[in-house]
Amino acid sequence: MSIKCRLMQFAICILQFAICNAFLTSETSAQTTRETIAAVQPKVVKIFGAGGIKGLASHGTGFFVSKEGHIATIWSHVLDADVVGVVLSDGRRFTAKVLGAEPQLALAVLKLNNADGIEFPFFHADEAISAGSGTRVLGFSNMFNVAAGDEPVSVVHGVIAAKTTIEARRGVFDSPYSGPVFVVDGVTNNSGAAGGVLTTRDGLLLGMIGLELRNAKSNTWMNYAIPVKELSSSIGQIISGKFEQKRDPRSDDTEPSAKPRRYKPLDFGFLLVPDVVDRTPAFIDSTLPDSAAAKVGLKPDDLVLFVNDELIQSCRALQDAIGRLESGDQLRLVVRRGNELVNVEMLVPKKREKE
Amino acid sequence: MMKSASLMLLLLSCFASTSAFAWQAPTRELEEAEEQAFKRAVSQVAPSLVRIETVGGLDQVQNFLLGNGPTTGLVLSADGYVISSSFNFLSKPASILVTTTDGRRMTAKVIANDTVRSLTLLKVEADGLVPARAAVKESIKVGQWAIAVGRALDANAPNVSVGIVSALNRVWGKAIQTDAKVSPVNYGGVLVDVDGTVLGVLVPLSPQDNSTVAGVEWYDSGIGFAIPLTDVLATLDRLKQGKDLRAGLAGFTFSSTDMFGGDTKIDRVRYDSPMYRAGFKDGDQILELDGHKVTRPAQVKHVLGSKIEGDKLAITIKRGAETKQADLTLVGELPPFEAGFLGVLPTREKLAGVAEGVGVRWVYPDSPAAKIGLQPRDRIVKFRDQAITSAAQLIDQVSRVRPTEKASVVVRRDGKEETLEATLAGYPADLPKELPTSPIEAAAEGEVKKAVEKPDGKVEAEGDKKAEGSDKPRTGRFGEEVADSKNAWWAFVPESYNPAYGYSLLAWLHPPGDTLEATVYDSWKLEAERRGIILLGLKAANVGAGWQANEAEFVHETVVSFQKKYSVDAGRVVLHGYDKSGPFATHLAFKHRDVFRGLILAASLITERPPENLPEYRLQFQLICGSKDPAHAFLDRNANSLRALKYPANFTSLPDLEHRYPNADGVDAMARWIDSLDRL
Repeated sequence: MSIKCRLMQFAICILQFAICNAFLTSETSAQTTRETIAAVQPKVVKIFGAGGIKGLASHGTGFFVSKEGHIATIWSHVLDADVVGVVLSDGRRFTAKVLGAEPQLALAVLKLNNADGIEFPFFHADEAISAGSGTRVLGFSNMFNVAAGDEPVSVVHGVIAAKTTIEARRGVFDSPYSGPVFVVDGVTNNSGAAGGVLTTRDGLLLGMIGLELRNAKSNTWMNYAIPVKELSSSIGQIISGKFEQKRDPRSDDTEPSAKPRRYKPLDFGFLLVPDVVDRTPAFIDSTLPDSAAAKVGLKPDDLVLFVNDELIQSCRALQDAIGRLESGDQLRLVVRRGNELVNVEMLVPKKREKE
Repeated sequence: MMKSASLMLLLLSCFASTSAFAWQAPTRELEEAEEQAFKRAVSQVAPSLVRIETVGGLDQVQNFLLGNGPTTGLVLSADGYVISSSFNFLSKPASILVTTTDGRRMTAKVIANDTVRSLTLLKVEADGLVPARAAVKESIKVGQWAIAVGRALDANAPNVSVGIVSALNRVWGKAIQTDAKVSPVNYGGVLVDVDGTVLGVLVPLSPQDNSTVAGVEWYDSGIGFAIPLTDVLATLDRLKQGKDLRAGLAGFTFSSTDMFGGDTKIDRVRYDSPMYRAGFKDGDQILELDGHKVTRPAQVKHVLGSKIEGDKLAITIKRGAETKQADLTLVGELPPFEAGFLGVLPTREKLAGVAEGVGVRWVYPDSPAAKIGLQPRDRIVKFRDQAITSAAQLIDQVSRVRPTEKASVVVRRDGKEETLEATLAGYPADLPKELPTSPIEAAAEGEVKKAVEKPDGKVEAEGDKKAEGSDKPRTGRFGEEVADSKNAWWAFVPESYNPAYGYSLLAWLHPPGDTLEATVYDSWKLEAERRGIILLGLKAANVGAGWQANEAEFVHETVVSFQKKYSVDAGRVVLHGYDKSGPFATHLAFKHRDVFRGLILAASLITERPPENLPEYRLQFQLICGSKDPAHAFLDRNANSLRALKYPANFTSLPDLEHRYPNADGVDAMARWIDSLDRL
């Protein structure tokens, strides 16, 4: 975290603009970055709730998704409070209640209390767009609660670094959200930034800034946003009261790695070298005569690189991948033999129950 | 396509020129044009970028946790040469896979590494790959757009970060600096211009440190580096030979370690180096390198920093009134440095006294000194026509003469001076069997304060001393817990401590499980008193688990603080490990070569590859163990390998001893060895 704090000091360009006019509608076609910022900031709010202990921030960010005062934000501990406070860019203060949440999408929708008759500037969630890498973007959030007074949130600029998918997998991405994300080359994701918005340079809605997340594949902190396209139907349903929370497929079906391994390499007639370190490469030690492995020509010292298009980086990964096979599946292997890549295919044999 | 690109460039340059006069908000058109240019630049270079995946390998290197995700490489030739950052292969993977933009997947071989610029050349068996276009190095300007492109985040499209060129010739002339976000997701990828021409290959670098992980801590910070592609291409043929490229060495050292304050006067020209062969000598002053005027060591490093073995270096020096010029071809390795040995132990004189010459305390039997008849109480007043004023100076002078070379020695004996010629030898491996102690006069009254041993045998804590308001150095046995850490230490300073003399300092690192404090104290106390050795027993934060790599600073700082508090001869600071603490002691001795001048390993092997023997950091070794210790033969072999690197190394075998801490004979041998570290 200290690295990220340090980054804050010199890597981020924080632009803060005093708002002279309250833009009540989003229809004004923004022309330049400056005009976009002025148009977007009134739609972004600061949220205050639970936290403040054990290094957990008690502040977050959200954005209006209706003129009646519905706010989309990140589903986080900040909302675990009796009263959630919301501060607008001009300093107006409200309380809000949590109307509904979709933890799998890391989404919560709030409704401002005592806001009847007031019209708020808002984003049309169902008009959110997608964009490719290299697109200039702006991130709006109350990172580190820098915008502590009656002032709009902080803005950072950058480009979309990549559009990719994160899979919530223990040890790789410790995130409740699985799915597509926009990765940003600016430092958008910091303490309290989650729930903020990512827009294009001309103010079109792209994504909601996610919680801080470490990418174990590269050992780096990720700056990313969840596409609002993925969230818009849930937002609409929560607002209209028709929302039914989807059953979390993981709730009764724990980690895949904890599953019993249904198949072993031996079921196909080969053995791996002894698994001695964390990343022992999956070399074949021997094959049984007349086995499926022998018939497709697997040989000792072949290195298994892929199982059904999944890169296999260790013996353990191979055992997991083979363990997940189902009877009747095809097992496609790519092995390295010398400098050649060799493809083989085997039918997953039937297995008697209760084995 | 080309037309609209050049139009866009024109637009961008218009903006650049107007902005020099007054800041104008960029127009929507300009912002859009720039954005399109970024995307076009990325698509230009994308076919030359490959995705690299590795299988197997290490999890961790130097306490640095390695990711195992995909990384990036850059195609250099249609027939399959790919350059990448060495960082991507730190895990020493069993297999490397390369996927091209057109979806072909191939195994790759590591051909060679460029250790200076942290690059690795791969080869895949393929044809029809799309090599990248390199920007002319001279055309790259600070402030121009610079786009960092990698292929690690997503299999189907490159990942992008936009910034500018922040600086050129960074990290001792090696790299372009950019504020685009550079991290493991694009190391091995490229920095491109706004038209997609490749400026350089992205790598982690640090001006302070040469290791492959150095600079990774700056990821995504706005401090990123790229090696100019033209420089990569210039050495491609050499890398293709399959030999790692090492830093180019000329073979000289400066007397000042101050990079910015010191001058460029050469302290030593290394034997048989390019400098030596070109006829340069100690004391020459470097004026110019490759046409750059240099007056400070930092400027010299800036010219040499990007040099690789085989590169040329034009050098101009000044010697007295004349100047001398030569073109050197740099080498990757110098013959190991070997100091000459005369065979004398210098008298340990009072530090304050200014003396003419250096007294002879003892002469090694059969040594060059013995052969020319030097005797105790002689004074060496000149060596190679240099007037001698201190033992340290004489050690330095003698080390400049190589074994088998001759040197003139002027000796004063009974008031008469005599000029002798000695043929120097190498350092002897054996210890002198008998070595008389060096007398130390008693300290004047009140100069030191004795530690009081309490009736219960415990020693009073360091804090008690402060209560009495005395800051005189303590003697006897005492200890301290270290605030803000779980570490502690104990020490024994000879009761006869006299700050007017220089003492040896023995830093003892216990093995896991047992501090052996009583054993070490009891067996060393008498020798410490006799031979003027200060004992410093350091304790690991977790005695049971033993020393951890992150405790190196504690040991270093404690030793340095003792050097400040007591009169310690900098040439006799020794680390001592036993059994499993040996590797940690070795690591420290190699890491802090400016502090530790001796390493004693008892019943423990050297497991780390020793660094090059350097004249500026004298380091001597003693390996000691029982003849019945299973490690006995290995220690003997260790000592031989150290000698092959031209380090002075003694191996002491203790008859009939099993694997345990050395007995009284062993401690006697270690104390004799410490007491002879100032030999010359």
